[in-house]
Amino acid sequence: MQDEQLMREVREGAIEKLEILFERHQPAVLRYFLYLTSNRALSDDLAQEVFFRVLKYRRSYQPAAAFRPWLFQIARNVHVDDLNRRKPEVELSEEALSQETTRISSAAIAADRAVQKAEEVQLLRRALAALPGDKREVLVMSRLLEWKYEEIASALQCEVGTVKVRVYRALRELSERFFSLSKEKAS
Amino acid sequence: MNCERLQEQIPEALSGRLDQAAREALVDHLEGCAACRAQVADLNAAWRVFDKLDAALEGSLQPTPDATAKARFQEMLAAYQAGMAAARPTPQPQVLAFPGRTAWRIALAAGLLLGGILCGRYLGPNSGAAPDELAQLRTQVEGLRQTVALSMLQQQSPLARMRGVSYSEQIPQPDTQLLDALLDAVQHDSNVNVRLSAVDALQKFAAGPGVIRSLSDALAAQDSPLVQIALIDLLVQLEARSAAPTIARLSRDSAADEMVRQRAAWALHKLEGTK
Repeated sequence: MQDEQLMREVREGAIEKLEILFERHQPAVLRYFLYLTSNRALSDDLAQEVFFRVLKYRRSYQPAAAFRPWLFQIARNVHVDDLNRRKPEVELSEEALSQETTRISSAAIAADRAVQKAEEVQLLRRALAALPGDKREVLVMSRLLEWKYEEIASALQCEVGTVKVRVYRALRELSERFFSLSKEKAS
Repeated sequence: MNCERLQEQIPEALSGRLDQAAREALVDHLEGCAACRAQVADLNAAWRVFDKLDAALEGSLQPTPDATAKARFQEMLAAYQAGMAAARPTPQPQVLAFPGRTAWRIALAAGLLLGGILCGRYLGPNSGAAPDELAQLRTQVEGLRQTVALSMLQQQSPLARMRGVSYSEQIPQPDTQLLDALLDAVQHDSNVNVRLSAVDALQKFAAGPGVIRSLSDALAAQDSPLVQIALIDLLVQLEARSAAPTIARLSRDSAADEMVRQRAAWALHKLEGTK
């Protein structure tokens, strides 16, 4: 059954159907938070929060609307609320980033024994973490979740042309930060 | 082709989403523009590292939710279903059946005894005071409910406070203290879900003294976009034109979330239409 049909049924009270949507979309929602926060435990909590809000605000789902952009609008709000709640600690500390990177890069190294690759991943994660939130978000949606620009526009409630410009600017800034970090490391 | 327009297409080109005509135009331009070629090379290098990041993350993620996440979700769903069932009004039985459990039998017997005493008092020769005393009894019950709701709203656990908000909604006419507690929850509760529930609850009590003004004040002080949107929607629903200046400020506030600004602009339009 299509996501939209399931959500319409959830909206009308068949809330047990949300479990199918959870099965289908929780991994993508978790990845979204993982890319934005670099913190697995926090991302797990935020992903749970998203599905709680889907349940609570199920009646605000417009029956004709696509489900995924609506779901990620909620995910965005959950992320914004979390940032506001944790303002003082929101910047990723060097230690946290290093621990997370070690954990993830260990998997990468074990998988293909490419130390250089792991170093690049570490630098990219640092560059990504240093981007302003809106730029990081649009890159996550476009590059990592591989959404079409139309879907991103729907989730961000803006024009497709605006998404195109934002993705380009975010990628350019990321690239500058990435190469600057690479040079620092080399020197 | 203009360099700036072309560069905006680079991410699409790198992801293979650019249509053939645009791709050919891009290639033509790159052949004659060294600056754009350098830009493509830089962006491409960063773009490719993402593949490695993704591959590294894939190692720690599964394509389906893990068992712990699923168990947490199922627990939440079950709790929510239980909450919905508890909030649903119990249908009145068509035929009064005598209860089977001893405790219920005792309660019923006590109720009948109390009913008998009250009937004796109010229907007897001195029944002049009956309406007053009945009203007093109702007031006492109402007061008890409000005390319970207030106590729940002051609990440490967000879930308990949310239950307190739901309980408050069942009180037909909350007193000032309970209304203040709900308004305080909207403004100051640390948990966004409690704030949102309190906004929902206040919808029912909007006629209370100063409620609209307090909602407007809460909107001005709110930092959660979700709660801001809920408050804006409620103020529009209540046709609260007195809140228009606050909403107008929010629609112009560059620090506010874009969705909130858009919603505020929409709300102003709606409120103008209600004049």
